[in-house]
Amino acid sequence: MLRPGRGPGSTDAMTAADEGLALDPAIVAALARLAGYPPPDAATLARIAAGADDAIAAVRAGETVTLFDDEPAHFLAELERLAGAETP
Amino acid sequence: MTPERWTLTEACAALARGAVSSVELTRHCLERAARLNGTLNCFLRLETEAALAQAARADAARAAGRPLGPLHGVPLALKDLFYDRLRVTGGGSRIRAGFRATATATALARLETAGAVNLGALHMTEFALGPTGHNAFHGPCRNPWNPDHIAGGSSSGAAAALAARLTFGALGSDTGGSVRVPAAANGVLGLKPTYGLVPRTGAMPLSWSLDHVGPLARTAGDLARLLAVVAGHDPLDRSSSRRAVPDYEAALAAPLDGLRIGVAANACTDAVDPGVGHLLDAATAALVSAGARQVAVTVPAAPRLVALSRVLLYAEAAALHAHWLRTRPDDYSPQVRARIATGVAIPAPIYLEALQLRPLLLRQFVANVFGDCDVLLAPTLALPVPTLAATDVGADPSMWSVIARLVQCTAGFNYLGLPALSVPVGFTANGLPAGAQLVGRPFAEATLLTVAARYQQVSDWHTRLPAIH
Repeated sequence: MLRPGRGPGSTDAMTAADEGLALDPAIVAALARLAGYPPPDAATLARIAAGADDAIAAVRAGETVTLFDDEPAHFLAELERLAGAETP
Repeated sequence: MTPERWTLTEACAALARGAVSSVELTRHCLERAARLNGTLNCFLRLETEAALAQAARADAARAAGRPLGPLHGVPLALKDLFYDRLRVTGGGSRIRAGFRATATATALARLETAGAVNLGALHMTEFALGPTGHNAFHGPCRNPWNPDHIAGGSSSGAAAALAARLTFGALGSDTGGSVRVPAAANGVLGLKPTYGLVPRTGAMPLSWSLDHVGPLARTAGDLARLLAVVAGHDPLDRSSSRRAVPDYEAALAAPLDGLRIGVAANACTDAVDPGVGHLLDAATAALVSAGARQVAVTVPAAPRLVALSRVLLYAEAAALHAHWLRTRPDDYSPQVRARIATGVAIPAPIYLEALQLRPLLLRQFVANVFGDCDVLLAPTLALPVPTLAATDVGADPSMWSVIARLVQCTAGFNYLGLPALSVPVGFTANGLPAGAQLVGRPFAEATLLTVAARYQQVSDWHTRLPAIH
């Protein structure tokens, strides 16, 4: 289940993945200061921390491949390469 | 004359044979919009004088024997994020209220060159960020099937105005489901095309990697006509494909014989409501009765695709809005500001990982899914359309889970750039519409439109009018 009060984008599938990872709202406040944003209030900081925490954890949890040997691909070119027939 | 019963292509035909003039049709739409907008709030600005002037020019051109194009004289409307050098484009925001661009969006210019009349700016979520249709500055857009329910977002007004028969077609944008979610919630069709098919020049950005411009309409034929007008290479958009645009309307006549419809138990990371599931099963059966073949497929890494899309969205939206986040933070609604500012907490390596994984995961998805089927059928919304109250920021914390669920079935296809078309498949127990997504290989829009057209031949959901009518 979603944790009550979690930020936008939290989902059931991510709850197990993000155990042990907790982005401290104080870190978010420091990052916001570094970026030059006026400090959000405590509730907003907590929401930002939760939203980022979940997204990062889900990316990390699903990691199965290395990009080390993968050539950077132009995404549009890849879409065009994978296109099939245009009509059924 | 009952133009509210006409589809876009029927309206074009009526105009062509002189059964109605563009001024008459435009006035009809404007009057309906003025009458119903107090309830629905789907138009942020009605451009009455400008639209009637456009319509008069269209009528004059027809009288002079100068056909303008496939949309000659037909009234349309666009989400409030397509730049127009002659009109305000506010992006549903306070920060851009009164903004006048110096150049017109390519998609809008193409619609007007094809003869369309622009009725005005449609309601949207502030800066296109949010799937409900709430807007702190303009108020919520309401669902014509029941104004206590959300219209969906962020192209809220596009879908609501179509369902209420205030326009014959609309143009929206889709970064995580913003065309398809409101289309499903209002019982109309909405297409997120393949990344690169429809130019984004002059469409207010939210995420460079995920933004798509897409049409909404009431039939597959209408959608095909609109797509044919707006699709195609634009030298001003470096992410625009040079592929030739096929004849989408001609493709609508193709048979479904043997076409493989893939159904995946895990296509959506959200638990599918039983009522929605029943409607999807019935839609699949209808397609099988029309000649398609049902096959089981497995979608790889579905939850991860949604998470990856959020990483890109948060980071890119924060970069796009950085200047205003520093200088005008109080001019955002608190909710939208929080969502955008989330990007500050996404580490650069995570963002780049999400970006660089995209072609790799696309290859994996196409091989695993489209090796076994031609079109994937999945829910658009896994839950019945919720109420405005259940998704309001003043509601209890469970509100966040409802909002998050709204894009669980759609956002992954923005990440992959694949074409996805939402088609209405009936009504859930609360009386609100439900939609199914048809997802295809890159640039397979013609196939998706053909499947939608065949489905609309064996169903009548698209012919029903909401009670507000």
